[in-house]
Amino acid sequence: MPLANPPAPQITRTRSAVTASNVWRAYGSGEAQVVALRDVSVQFASGAFTAIMGPSGSGKSTLMHCLAGLDTTDRGSVLIGDTEISGLNDKDLTKLRRDKIGFIFQQFNLLPTLTAEENILLPASIAGAKPDPDWVARIIATLDLSERLTHKPTELSGGQQQRVACARALATRPEVVFADEPTGNLDTRSSGEVLRFLRRSVDDFGQTIVMVTHDPSAAAHADRVVFLADGQIVEDLHRPTADSVIDTMRGFENRVPLAGEAR
Amino acid sequence: MLRAALKGMASRKARLVLTSLAVVLGTMFVAAAMVLTATMEKSVSGVISDAFTGVDAVVTAAEDPAAAQGNTPSATLIPAGVLDTVRGVDGVDSAEGDVSGQVNAIGADGKLVGTFAPTIGFNWNDENPGLNELRDGRAPQADDEVIVSTLFVTESGLDIGDTVTAYSYTADRVEYEIVGVFGLSGDRDSLAGETQMGFTTTAAQLLLAQGENVYMTIFVDGDASTEDIADAIGSDYRVQTGEEASEEAAQGFAAVADIMGYIFLGFGLVAVFVSVFLIINTFTIIVAQRQRELALLRAIGAGRGQVVGSVLAEAAIIGVIASILGLGLGVLLGWGLSQLVSSSFMGGLAVRLEVPPTALWALAVGIGVTVLSAVVPAVKASGVPPVAAMREAVNPPKPLRGITIAGLAVTAVGGVLVAMGLTDNLGDLGLPGFLSGVGIAFVGITLLTPILSRPLVALLGAVMSWSFSGRLGKLNAGRNPRRTAITASALMIAVALVTGIATLVSSFKETTEELTDSNLDSDLIVMGQQGANIPTFAPETLAEIKALPDVAAVGDLYGEFFGAQVDGRQTALFASEDLATSLDIFSGTVAEGSVENLPDDGLAVNESAAEDYGLALGDTVPVTFADGTETQLKVEAILDDALLTDGWWVAPAQIAHFTVPKPMQAYIQVADGADVDAVQDEVSAILADEPEVDVSNNAQFVAQQTGQLDNLLASVQILLALAIIIAIIGVVNTLVLSVLERTRELGLLRAIGMTRGQARRMITVESVIICLFGAVLGLAVGIGLGWTVQQALEEEGLTSFALPWNYIVGYLVAAVAVGLLAAIAPAARAAKLNVLNAIAYE
Repeated sequence: MPLANPPAPQITRTRSAVTASNVWRAYGSGEAQVVALRDVSVQFASGAFTAIMGPSGSGKSTLMHCLAGLDTTDRGSVLIGDTEISGLNDKDLTKLRRDKIGFIFQQFNLLPTLTAEENILLPASIAGAKPDPDWVARIIATLDLSERLTHKPTELSGGQQQRVACARALATRPEVVFADEPTGNLDTRSSGEVLRFLRRSVDDFGQTIVMVTHDPSAAAHADRVVFLADGQIVEDLHRPTADSVIDTMRGFENRVPLAGEAR
Repeated sequence: MLRAALKGMASRKARLVLTSLAVVLGTMFVAAAMVLTATMEKSVSGVISDAFTGVDAVVTAAEDPAAAQGNTPSATLIPAGVLDTVRGVDGVDSAEGDVSGQVNAIGADGKLVGTFAPTIGFNWNDENPGLNELRDGRAPQADDEVIVSTLFVTESGLDIGDTVTAYSYTADRVEYEIVGVFGLSGDRDSLAGETQMGFTTTAAQLLLAQGENVYMTIFVDGDASTEDIADAIGSDYRVQTGEEASEEAAQGFAAVADIMGYIFLGFGLVAVFVSVFLIINTFTIIVAQRQRELALLRAIGAGRGQVVGSVLAEAAIIGVIASILGLGLGVLLGWGLSQLVSSSFMGGLAVRLEVPPTALWALAVGIGVTVLSAVVPAVKASGVPPVAAMREAVNPPKPLRGITIAGLAVTAVGGVLVAMGLTDNLGDLGLPGFLSGVGIAFVGITLLTPILSRPLVALLGAVMSWSFSGRLGKLNAGRNPRRTAITASALMIAVALVTGIATLVSSFKETTEELTDSNLDSDLIVMGQQGANIPTFAPETLAEIKALPDVAAVGDLYGEFFGAQVDGRQTALFASEDLATSLDIFSGTVAEGSVENLPDDGLAVNESAAEDYGLALGDTVPVTFADGTETQLKVEAILDDALLTDGWWVAPAQIAHFTVPKPMQAYIQVADGADVDAVQDEVSAILADEPEVDVSNNAQFVAQQTGQLDNLLASVQILLALAIIIAIIGVVNTLVLSVLERTRELGLLRAIGMTRGQARRMITVESVIICLFGAVLGLAVGIGLGWTVQQALEEEGLTSFALPWNYIVGYLVAAVAVGLLAAIAPAARAAKLNVLNAIAYE
């Protein structure tokens, strides 16, 4: 049993951390209307690492934004844990993001005025809360950031910055971490480090992670890959490997050749 | 490239509006100053030429007309016979003798009528009233009847049927019955705020010409040439055409309008100066934000010159549009100010709008300043390497050493100029030297502000860091020292100027209080508010005061200010009925000789003046009095230099030769143990019949002396509010641009749980810190400036230095308020950011 000190209770493994039911999302109106999500229903199990893949314009980022409370849905419902988020006002959504969701972005998005440590503690600082110091220390140790805590983001490499961003996302023990192309701006070595950490946080800490990516080898670190095309889930792959992801992608690219025109 | 610049501008409208606003305001004030000057000049000369309408020639006595100014009442007189001669000249249709001069009239409240402008008495001409129009009642027919102007009715509280008392320097009080009221053509109450009384010619001559049958001016109607008239009456008289006389009269008034114009121009230039900072800052930020775009332009083959050109073109377009707008608004403002000046100070003088060609200078200033301010950012823009287009724009903070050294050097140059300007080393160029020194010092200090911003922002920020969003705001404020500094500098200049003036005013107050406390050994002071003339009272009244049982001693003061000469030089003379007592009260001391029982041909003078005139004890010196008496006076005493007793003191016997042989002031020592308030009441009762003066205790005296300074300070603050508004715009501008620049950060903060309120607070704290920083710097510089000037004026009598604490606290509070105000829009913008778009923002 790898969970010597599990932060999340075991029972959460059996339920969904994030649930989307019949989610619709369209932008614009009339002729110019673009439907980004068409009746998407998907569950993300607690304590699992799920990747969302799909070609550009498939709606994968929209799905993640809707799940994370960054974007609103037109129809359908989204649950974070037990909380229904569609219909929450900005204040409650903000609070939800603060307390239950962690974010990792492609552009790292660290605050340049703060040190690495301050960046890691940022969500807690915003909430005016003190994070569990042991937990934070453990994350920092795991990410090998102990030597970099006093550095400003400009003094860190891309890989280090993204590791700081990972630590920030996990520091408040969120219900779910959403990672948007976390390796998109990193070299292979740094990508590997970040992905291995995400994997570890799922295995060792029971963290739930939803990651949007277009990189098959990144997706291969996940427990499950959900494929989107034209706003719909077209494939759901469990225990993926890089090869099986690539095969799947080829498969549905052939099946939906006119994804762009269809919209 | 021009098209690229235009398209770039179109995509940044908000920024353009803010930048343009600064240029608009600056240009507006400069233009308004020009328009005000020209309009007032035109209005005044218009009124005067109205007054000379139908007058073909004007005869005056051949003396210098300037002598008719001041307080010599009867310098130029024309005997009645001359009028008859003029009437007999061929081509003269009619000629009217005019008797006019300043009179004192006592209003319903027992005090003088008219505060700013004098009361003019003249002989009412029923046949040829000129501009005057009978409004009510009738013309004076008897010598104890008077017709008064409508403004006189308003100011005096007296009306038809009432009795009014009037007197002049040469005539005692006479009571007149008001039988009529007249106004001026065009439904005006007065030409320039004066109140008027029209008498019969005889009564006017009694009041103004010591009863002689003489006139001050003859107005001629007809086509006789001035030469013909001059030939007929001889060389003792000056004959001018109506036009010449009108122009001459207008010149005196024009000088007043000029001074006001210069004041407004000064404030306009301050506004322009402050906008320079705003423009530089905006363009620097625009260039920084467009770094990748500019690099891309460079990468695809645009030359450095083209990049500079594109930025300058943008500046030029802003400059032209904003300046034209500013000019237009300036004309409106100038017109409005003219109305205000006219109604407040000139009795509702009809304003005739005049836009002088010089107003176009405002255009040149606006465009020039905008383009020049953009030069440095433009050149910086051209330095962006093409490769910057390919990589993430990283602007490592530049070292501040160069700018700091430059700042120290420039500040030093400014300081030296200020010092030289204040110490007369520059001669006539003292004032311009001082002012340009202040300007240069401001630039220097601005260059120093980035380095100062680090510790100061950290310090000010520490106060604000009680919340996390406050801490982020503080960090943001310290993020770009140059930008924070230049934004704060605009505020600094405005605050420094008002603080400098406030410091001088408070120092002056302190000095006045100390003077009253330590130099003036009296309990009560009799004097009048300085108006158009020096207020005086009857010598008999002085005697009555001296005779009061509870009065221990009285120091009295007679003065002659313009009419006397010592050794051929125009000099003020003083006299006291009891010089020894007066010197005691004024804390004056005798160095040599004695002032006890000063002989009639005796003179007392302070050391410096004696040295200046090369006089020693026992020397004689020629003195000419206002009434023409020439005599030799002997130096009987040399006084130590002292603030209140410096000058030339003559014996009481000479007072008769003064223009106004009446006491101006009396300083009363109340007997030990007597009730000062009771004595004040007694003196006040004695003065009931003295319309020109009042009695006040020391505290009231200080308040009177300094009250006008408070008004001055208030006016300065109102005028500098413009510069402060521009500075606020600068803060708003910087904040809006910072919010834009940090869109992604804000998006992240919002994504990971920062509430809108927290985002607003973060921006607000940044804003307040920038404003406080500017205010603190401004206070420091202003106090320094005030101290420097006070030190320079120490010998002139500004002996005390006092900090204007109430204003200092006020400005700090205002800075916080301004910070809160300036943050409203940018903070709302930050709070409203769409989180998704913000995160993806490039």
